Amino acid sequence: MFFLTYLRRELRRRMRQALVIAIGLALGIGLVITVTAMSSGVRAAQGKILGSLYGVGTDITVTVPVKALSGSGGFQNITPKPYARHHDTLQSTTQGPISSSDLAAISRLRDVTAAAGGLVLTEIKVTLPSPNAPPASFRPPIQLSVTGAQIGGRALGPLSVARLSSGRGFTAADASADVALLDSGYAAAHKLKVGSEITVAGPRFKVIGIVRQPGDSSPPEIYIPLARAQDLAPRMHGMVNIVYVQAASASFVGTVSSEISGLMPSATVSTSGDLAKGVSGSLASTSKLARTFGTWLAVLALLAAFAVASLLTLAAVGRRVREFGTLKALGWRSGRISVQVLGESLAMGIAGAALGIALGLGGALLASAVAPHLTATVSTTNIGKNAFGPAGTNGGIFNGTVGGPMQTFANPNATHVVAVPFSAPITIGAIVLAVILAIAGALIAGLLGGWQITRLRPAAALARVE
Amino acid sequence: MSAAGMADRTEPPATAAYTLTGVGKTYPKGRRTIAALRGINMAIGKGEWLAIQGRTGHGKTTLLQILGGLDRADAGTVTFQGRDLTQMPEAQVTRMRAQSIGFIFQTFNLVPTLSAAENVEAALIPLPSRPAQRHRRVMAALDSVGLADRGRHLPSELSGGQQQRVAIARALVKEPQVLLADEPTGNLDQATRDEIIMLLETLWHSLGLTLVVVTHDTAVARRAQRVGILTKGHLSISKNIQDR
Repeated sequence: MFFLTYLRRELRRRMRQALVIAIGLALGIGLVITVTAMSSGVRAAQGKILGSLYGVGTDITVTVPVKALSGSGGFQNITPKPYARHHDTLQSTTQGPISSSDLAAISRLRDVTAAAGGLVLTEIKVTLPSPNAPPASFRPPIQLSVTGAQIGGRALGPLSVARLSSGRGFTAADASADVALLDSGYAAAHKLKVGSEITVAGPRFKVIGIVRQPGDSSPPEIYIPLARAQDLAPRMHGMVNIVYVQAASASFVGTVSSEISGLMPSATVSTSGDLAKGVSGSLASTSKLARTFGTWLAVLALLAAFAVASLLTLAAVGRRVREFGTLKALGWRSGRISVQVLGESLAMGIAGAALGIALGLGGALLASAVAPHLTATVSTTNIGKNAFGPAGTNGGIFNGTVGGPMQTFANPNATHVVAVPFSAPITIGAIVLAVILAIAGALIAGLLGGWQITRLRPAAALARVE
Repeated sequence: MSAAGMADRTEPPATAAYTLTGVGKTYPKGRRTIAALRGINMAIGKGEWLAIQGRTGHGKTTLLQILGGLDRADAGTVTFQGRDLTQMPEAQVTRMRAQSIGFIFQTFNLVPTLSAAENVEAALIPLPSRPAQRHRRVMAALDSVGLADRGRHLPSELSGGQQQRVAIARALVKEPQVLLADEPTGNLDQATRDEIIMLLETLWHSLGLTLVVVTHDTAVARRAQRVGILTKGHLSISKNIQDR
């Protein structure tokens, strides 16, 4: 076919220029693929972190701030029994109770797929010294994060992402049993395993499973059935202090949030977006970097590649003016000549796309290989205001203690650090986008060349001295 | 050329291929306007060989380009096959060039990346024809200029005379009614020039072409039926160069 023969011969003749255009496009495309992959990786990391804090599938959390504890809380709420030396209490230090009727009302909202309640509690264990004991015998209080998890129904909340390391998870038969799941880190630190026994606010609980939360997060140490947590925590019988809500789709999150706010005017309704705003650290920096610098870098590289391709194509057309003038003299329409030039540009674009995909894959692999773990620092101040009640209502004597995600409520100024491995996954969509961009760049260059050819007067073209 | 043929050169044929009336063309040059052609009136007969001579810059190539529809006159009318080229839409002029007009250039203007056969085939691309049919016509055209065995050669692998023969084959492959040649022997040595002149004359005679040749070369002009002299855009035509 004449078109292909002419195209092939021209590309061979202008091999160096064709390579420059293809490499220019490839660099732009490669950057777009790498940046897109890194952005996807950052988004995935954010998703993991939010998942570890919220649980998979949770779009909204609902909490109620504690009213009575304003200006006090934590250890100050413990009322020692006369002559008792050991105190082991379970408290909701920062979140007020939410009734089961409110939970049911949320569940019934039209755009809510599922709602589950939980009790986020802090266990405080204090051993008071005897009156004559020396000061050195004073033992600091122990604080643990205990979560009462709802059993049955759709998996929402912190346990929804946990992986069972050993033993088993909760079953419906465990609803009122003194059984517990332990976080693997806590279990290892205290040499606890399946079959061990622990005390939670007095009663002994049998450890039935060891779980691991993803993303090196700092999860609650102990999970017990919700009903048992309600029994053990004062003023929490039949209550929960957090509701995990799953909306029918992401587009309904705003609507559902508003509906819940209407149902419970005093509640703090937080979406995953609100929580994401409170995340800082290298993850946030990388996210910002990918969103701003990375995007701009890719856009600039693409524009530069397009400009290089266009300028070189225009220069090539300029050098071939007499050739095109001759073709016009032979009766070739401007459109037919433009199509020929467009074909040459497209061939270079396709070569650039192929090379760009290879570069992009290499870039993404390199980024995955050399990138360190990303850390996300979740500020309690932000979260306290948004998702988990007002900050500053719970300063107790345990300030500075950092525990699992829910333990941080004991301290509004504390931070919670989560580390996640970074990977830059390349999707088919990113590759398709790259091919489209390369071809678009080539088309722009070819169309500019074609436009120049259309404007060419045959007589002037033939008069051009080469 | 036969004696009868020589006798035919004195008058233009009765039927005109071209009729030019008051044709003018100007070019801007800086702030000035240069008149390349001034009030040209002439008829070129069908099957006539007309040579156009004149000093460089006096409008020879401009006149040839207007005849070929490569440029448009600013004034007057250029009638070709009964239609005024100055009023014809560009697409129709292009189609007319593709079907009816062949060009030969001083610098051959072959596409350097295409072989001799492909260069000739390029003239058939705008016309509706199948590849096999095109191939036959290309080989016939190359054969008519004595280059049937050089079809696969690139222009850079051919001598100047051979390149001009390829250009002639390219001009003739579509079987045009008119052949417009701009200094066809200008880049050739004397022996090659004579070959090309012989070839043009043979083809003109056998194909019944209307041949308009712009040339500085008296040897070429001497073969023409009539010679036009362009001086500062004004055309004067003599019946036969041998009369001058």
